[in-house]
Amino acid sequence: MTELLIQTVVQGLLVGGGYALVALSLGLTYNVSGIINFAHGDFLTLAMYLALALQTAWALDPYVSTVITFPLLFVSGVALYWFLLRPVARSQLLMVIQLTLGVTFVLQNGILMVFGGQPVRVPSDWEASLLILGDSLFLRTPQVLAFAGSLLLALLLWIVLDHTETGRRIRAVHQNPRAAALMGIDVPRVRTLTFGVGIGIQAIAGALLIPGTPIEPGQGFRYTVIPLMALVMGGLSDFRGIYLAAILIGVTEALGTVFVSGTSGMIVPYALFVLVLLLRPQGLFRRA
Amino acid sequence: MLEVAGLTAGYGGPNVLEDVSLDVEAGELVGLLGANNAGKSTLINCISGVLRPRAGSIRFLGEDITRAKPSDIVSRGIVQVPEGRQVFPRMSVLDNLLLGGTTAVARPRRADRLEQVFTLFPRLKERRPQYAGTLSGGEQQMLAIGRAMMGGPKLLMLDEPSLGLSPLFVQTIFRALRELNAQGLTILLVEQNLNLTLSCAVRGVVLERGQVALAGTSATLRADPRTRQAYLGL
Ligand SMILES: Nc1ncnc2c1ncn2[C@@H]1O[C@H](COP(=O)(O)OP(=O)(O)O)[C@@H](O)[C@H]1O
Ligand SMILES: [Mg+2]
Repeated sequence: MTELLIQTVVQGLLVGGGYALVALSLGLTYNVSGIINFAHGDFLTLAMYLALALQTAWALDPYVSTVITFPLLFVSGVALYWFLLRPVARSQLLMVIQLTLGVTFVLQNGILMVFGGQPVRVPSDWEASLLILGDSLFLRTPQVLAFAGSLLLALLLWIVLDHTETGRRIRAVHQNPRAAALMGIDVPRVRTLTFGVGIGIQAIAGALLIPGTPIEPGQGFRYTVIPLMALVMGGLSDFRGIYLAAILIGVTEALGTVFVSGTSGMIVPYALFVLVLLLRPQGLFRRA
Repeated sequence: MLEVAGLTAGYGGPNVLEDVSLDVEAGELVGLLGANNAGKSTLINCISGVLRPRAGSIRFLGEDITRAKPSDIVSRGIVQVPEGRQVFPRMSVLDNLLLGGTTAVARPRRADRLEQVFTLFPRLKERRPQYAGTLSGGEQQMLAIGRAMMGGPKLLMLDEPSLGLSPLFVQTIFRALRELNAQGLTILLVEQNLNLTLSCAVRGVVLERGQVALAGTSATLRADPRTRQAYLGL
């Protein structure tokens, strides 16, 4: 029993690390632009299918092909913000939401047209590799790598945002865009580039999540909703909170799946979400 | 130094400014006066490039900057201290100051200017690590001015810096502005406080419902009864 519990919690931690990757990049794009991009998860799907295509065409391992998919995703993020979101950013919230939902539709159907609707697995050399701790704890190497990747990304974000001039500018744009402009910061430029980086990170997240995970065109919504929950639970602009919330969702999801009967186990993270909203609406770790 | 000619501007609706002209010479401290909603903030926001004028031209140091980007205008040396101070609340006083000098032209000189700002407002030095949002109104105003000075302005524009401050802080702020002006800094000062402004400005321009109603030296404006009338919005 305790063995199963430990195995489940560890599994949940690792899955949560994957969610954290996507949640941090969602947090970055949201905080710099003020826009919730409902197509965020679909860019992860796009990154994964690009990795699949590169695997098929040139036998590139998904880890390696990020050197190609990152710039591609970065450019699509830049284009999305500059051509679609920036022009409507000042109009009604609902219109902006509609627009990003429209992007979801285009991406999902585009992928469906090109790759078909069957779930596929991207073959990877790492897929079957296991790390065995002690004599009973089995960890899938790709998941450990994804978790390590999420920690590294969190660290990198913290260094850049809190300890560089670029980060100081991004925080200024987030806290008061008007004042930032009056300081001589090119606000549209900062927003566009940061948005691009946020979408670009999806390429890295995609590569880290691919091994062993079947992919299908419609999966994006899940990778928007769960990170969005982490974002809200974490307190929107508290990256540490977002990270821990994502981990918590991973763990509760794993516990629910293993210990609560049938599909109702998947409800556990949502129940946690509602509970956090009721008890700590300002976010898990933020002072009210 | 600054030449505004025939400026017309608005926000989607009717014109808020109409055919406004205004000159500021190097080294001057010019007061921009007028009742609430006269269009003072609108005018300096046009100069800063955060609002596009509908017609007219703005020239600075002989070059046309009417359609320049705000970041370009700051780099050229026009820095605004906005109404309501607009500090970055969840950043330290030091970070706020450093952001004032974040343009490529200002960055190499940040360390020197930081010392100058701390000399001008020693209070900011004490408060360095504190979040700007936790400062008092007067301290935030010092920070907003210090932050603007970090950009190395040739022309400093202030939008109602005395608004909501205690008399003691108003004195501190105005003493600092006089000192900066005495050191050669050109200043365009938007104010509600008529007497105080005319006491340190060489010249004043009075806006009334988006148009220049009066302009002249501080002495003439002080003597002219229409100044007070325009000011009260009569
Ligand atoms: N962002 C805005 N959108 C629409 N109208 C505005 C905006 N800012 C100011 N106005 C209007 O423009 C006029 C001039 O305002 P403003 O320039 O702020 O005056 P002042 O600074 O002299 O008090 C006012 O009638 C005000 O209501
Ligand atoms: Mg005003």
